Amino acid sequence: MNNQNKVLAHLQKYIVTYLFVALSVLFIIISGMDMNYVASQLLLRLNRNAFIVLALIIPIIAGMGINFAITIGAMAAQIGLLLTISWGVTGVPGILLAAAITLPLASLFGFLIGKLLNKMKGQETIGSLILGYFANGAYQLLFLFIFGSIIPLSSKVTIVGASGVQNTLNLTGEVGLYKAIDSIASIPFMMALQLFVAVMVTVSMIQYKQKKMPLDRMVTILCGSVAVMAVFQITPVADIFNGNHGWEIKLPLVTWILIIGLCLFNSTIMKTRLGQKFRAVGQSQTVANASGINVNRTRIIAIMISTVLAGWGQIIFMQSDGIGTFQTYAAHEQVGLYAGAAILVGGASIDRATNYHALIGALLFHSLFITAQTAASKIFGDSAVGEYFRAFLSYGVIALALVMYAWRSAKQKKAAQTDLVLAARMAKQ
Amino acid sequence: MTEKNRRSKKSARGIASIVMIALAVIILAGSVFGFIQQGTQQTRGNMLDMRDQAVVYASSRGLISSIARQARSEKMAEHSKSQSKAQTRTMTTEELRAELDKAEEATRAEAEKLFTISDVPDKAAFREAVDQMSAAVSESTGLRDQEMAVYDDLYKQLVESIPRWQDIVPEKNTGKQEIIDALIKAVPDLGQEENSHLLSVDGFVKMAKDMAEKEKEQEETEQKEHVLQGVAAVVSNWLDFADGEGNPLEDDTIWEKLQANVPDLAEDVIREKLKIADDAAYDQWKKDLVGGVKDCVNATSQGSGLPSWAAPEEEKEETELGEIRILHDYFVNSAELDREEAEQKKAYEALEQHLKVIIPQLDHLEEILPEMIPQLYKVNSRTGELKLDQAKLSEMHEKIRDDLNKNIETILATQGKGFDTEYQMYADNGAKDVVQGSLWQLELASLAKYLLLIGIAVLLMGLMLLFWKPLTARLGVPRTIIILFFCLLCLLAEGYRISVGMMLGNVLERMTMYGILVLAMMPGIQCGIGLNMGMTIGCISGLLGIMVALQYNMTGFEAMAVACGCGIVVALPLGWAYAKLLNRMKGNEMTISTYVGFSFVSLMCIGWMLLPFDNPKIVWLLSGKGLRVTHGLLGSFAHILDNALSFKVLGIKIPTGGLLFLGVCCLLMWVFTRSKTGIAMKAVGSNPRFAEASGISVNRMRTIGTVLSTVIAAVGIVIYSQAFGYAQLYTAPKQLGFIASSAILIGGASVTKAKVSHVLLGVFLFEGVLVFGQQIANSAIAGGGLSEVMRILISNGIILYALTQSGGGRHE
Repeated sequence: MNNQNKVLAHLQKYIVTYLFVALSVLFIIISGMDMNYVASQLLLRLNRNAFIVLALIIPIIAGMGINFAITIGAMAAQIGLLLTISWGVTGVPGILLAAAITLPLASLFGFLIGKLLNKMKGQETIGSLILGYFANGAYQLLFLFIFGSIIPLSSKVTIVGASGVQNTLNLTGEVGLYKAIDSIASIPFMMALQLFVAVMVTVSMIQYKQKKMPLDRMVTILCGSVAVMAVFQITPVADIFNGNHGWEIKLPLVTWILIIGLCLFNSTIMKTRLGQKFRAVGQSQTVANASGINVNRTRIIAIMISTVLAGWGQIIFMQSDGIGTFQTYAAHEQVGLYAGAAILVGGASIDRATNYHALIGALLFHSLFITAQTAASKIFGDSAVGEYFRAFLSYGVIALALVMYAWRSAKQKKAAQTDLVLAARMAKQ
Repeated sequence: MTEKNRRSKKSARGIASIVMIALAVIILAGSVFGFIQQGTQQTRGNMLDMRDQAVVYASSRGLISSIARQARSEKMAEHSKSQSKAQTRTMTTEELRAELDKAEEATRAEAEKLFTISDVPDKAAFREAVDQMSAAVSESTGLRDQEMAVYDDLYKQLVESIPRWQDIVPEKNTGKQEIIDALIKAVPDLGQEENSHLLSVDGFVKMAKDMAEKEKEQEETEQKEHVLQGVAAVVSNWLDFADGEGNPLEDDTIWEKLQANVPDLAEDVIREKLKIADDAAYDQWKKDLVGGVKDCVNATSQGSGLPSWAAPEEEKEETELGEIRILHDYFVNSAELDREEAEQKKAYEALEQHLKVIIPQLDHLEEILPEMIPQLYKVNSRTGELKLDQAKLSEMHEKIRDDLNKNIETILATQGKGFDTEYQMYADNGAKDVVQGSLWQLELASLAKYLLLIGIAVLLMGLMLLFWKPLTARLGVPRTIIILFFCLLCLLAEGYRISVGMMLGNVLERMTMYGILVLAMMPGIQCGIGLNMGMTIGCISGLLGIMVALQYNMTGFEAMAVACGCGIVVALPLGWAYAKLLNRMKGNEMTISTYVGFSFVSLMCIGWMLLPFDNPKIVWLLSGKGLRVTHGLLGSFAHILDNALSFKVLGIKIPTGGLLFLGVCCLLMWVFTRSKTGIAMKAVGSNPRFAEASGISVNRMRTIGTVLSTVIAAVGIVIYSQAFGYAQLYTAPKQLGFIASSAILIGGASVTKAKVSHVLLGVFLFEGVLVFGQQIANSAIAGGGLSEVMRILISNGIILYALTQSGGGRHE
């Protein structure tokens, strides 16, 4: 009985995730796309998006919901990129310069966002969404009327004969920012996997030796590693990931070092004092306040970190394989939507998120994204439907996750209330 | 510390306000003095002197620049002639421009040396000639403006009331009388006697022919593009049409592959749909299509952007709708205007006699011109001798005289257009040095109007600072600022000579457009679900209703009634389900309603593609299914409510029908809030716990409010489309919830309280700021976009403010 309840609760918690797993499998079958192609596209999108999705975690833990205002971090990054292009700095120095410009800008913006969100506690999700729209207006003001006239820029990026920045900026060729990080080094996927498994095994062994990890956990990890390696040795699977169908699958090494670094950052910061404060504020502001934590300040710090990370994530996104152009007025618009949808798909909710949620979510969301268009056009005979289906998926999943969360918390509240009533009755008797 | 801070802030505000008010008083005093100066005897005399002098200066300077311009155009003609013979090497545009500039400058320098101005010998006679010319100019320009206004109005009516020009001009050689009859039938005003001259071969008849031709061309290209779109929609990967290296395949192979993949590409279907008769045209079409596919293949393999027709729907730029650009190509003078213009010409000739005395060179133009412009000589091909080209010379002479006439006309036309315009015009034409007495009095007089406007603006700002506390307590900070901003925009519009009355007319029109949609926010707020961002559900129901009306080719009020009715029928169950959902989500309504609204919009994007509409007027041509994005309602019920009972006051069109409808809806809403249910609903919205304690069913009231909001939104979108003239599907309704929310918030509503007055004031202020802002931005800086930015900032800013007010400092 108890077990059954547990399974039900688990299902309820992760219903969106399971729905997406089922849909993904279904769509891959319907679309009839080559698995090798899907895998290569998926990895490409994971390289681009994982960092931004991971940037959402800290505000969720600090109880601020899904920070749709990461759009503003993306805008800060785009200002950085614009200046970099305008000054003609190329390659890795260019990316570093853009990241350096992003840092103070995004921190400042994050501070302001935090200040504002502190004034609308309980409404942060919608507040950050509308704040993102508002910032888009300010961004357009800056790029259309201030850059190029009040703040001089190189004629490479401005419109000749009018104020404002060009609609699209090229990142390839002379500009030299395209794949600046991705192309530093890359290794085949299979090698990366072996490397990863090796590191996992070594780390867990060491931890076990130092008695930081229980035996059963270590055994699970070892068995899991062996199983994964075995699965990837089966010929059809190996074919897919070795690129035997014509699409090579390679991991950009530095990008992934950054992504894994961010995962480690997210998990280690939770072990520090600051991380404890985030968690305490996220669980109950009243309790946190009573125990002497400056609630507002903690929340502002969480948003600042998230905004800066999102900015850097946007830089990784823009330089990545297959983008090549910088849509000056549109590149940031969907950042919050896609990242928010991805993390919710991974099983996160308004008050709970981990690295796994982010990574799994990005994987699932984008696998559906890749296949949706072809699958929908196969079903309805029209590829425009597929395009709209993608948009529906993104919004729908957020709506569904929000509804599920609100429903669950309403139920919990009710249960707590009945408990209270029962307790009161008992006391009376 | 904080107390001290607050006090110092307050005193700083006090000081600033007093300084500003004092400044305003000084500026206003200056303006009054300026206005007095405008009327003095001395000023008037000075102005007349300046006018005469300006005419003289303008004549000589105009002559010089006119000659220089002629030299430039001759040089250009010479260049293009030699270019066509390919005698010289091809020049780049910059080189050519430099050469032309050089020629113009040289001629100008030469001319400046030649020209002299002697004193006016007979001042009184000269003034009389100028006076006469001035009178003639004011008569003819006045009449011209008047006729132009009539023309503009008729032009607009024609464009608005004729949905398809090919119905008016079915064939290229349709008779003149037939076209005229059809036009008069469409726009009865054209039948009036005084408009008959506009219906000539050069006038609206030509317009109808041109329009029909353009329309036909457009339809053809649209159909062609549509086939391409159909192909693009089915093809999932363009590289299917490429070989291994990303190069496109052979033409025939592509064609075969296309036919295999795209169902409707059979020859007879295409011929019928595109009305292609002969084989050559069909082959050409086939080649175009294959070419288009090749472009896409190349674009994909090189990683550049796809052509516009193949790009996914969302990436396409939206074209601006609803604005009619008036072309003046078809304007024809009336007999009276012709007479007036002849009169003006006579006056000019009289004036020219005087000018010839003052500027002697004017009399010897024929002798001077060939000296300065060598291109006037032509080479005799046999003897190689240079010979003066008399025909060219006299043509040029005529042109220069025309220019001169126009220059003088512009100067004199400013008379009566306000002191400052006149003064500025004379001063620009170098007439400042004939002023007797001190110049600053005149300068001040010319600035009087602007000083008045600036003075009022500063005074307003000062008063606002002075009464900051009580004002913000009553109105809230953003509303105070927006009201002040609106007042400043009105003043600025006056300063930019934009007709405030006209703008107000626009604002009224926009009010009827958005009014009902904003009203739909009210029951939502009152019943406690806050800003109903999910009102898009209602909007989509309304759009569905419109589509039903269009499907059955309905027109007029019947179409509107059916659209509203169907919309309401669809909105009721949807609104009910939506209300049930929100009842389970108390406390999170706004976030959830936003995303439920977004999801519904994108779900319906798929719906619009798949719903079984099949009227060829509203579905995509080739595939015969899937609704188009934009539907013009001109043939159906566009502007029908706004035009009902509408009349003009001072040239401003009052959309009576629309305003009445809005008024009635607001009244009904007001009555509803006074009813028992309405009062119970308000109680639920403002204090749900108290309401529950007093026995009101909270959920029931919330359901009523939400359904009401959804239903009003459905009606609202029908009215909106009616006023806009177009119904837009797909992602178009996505932002309507935000626009309506910001309008009602600007009007004074909060997330928990709203009144009918908030709706009306809100729509007026929001649309007012946008309309004025747009006009001023357009005349202040070239290139639009600023008003859109302003809309985004204001609309989202006010929602953010409302959120901070509602959730401020709340813990848990």
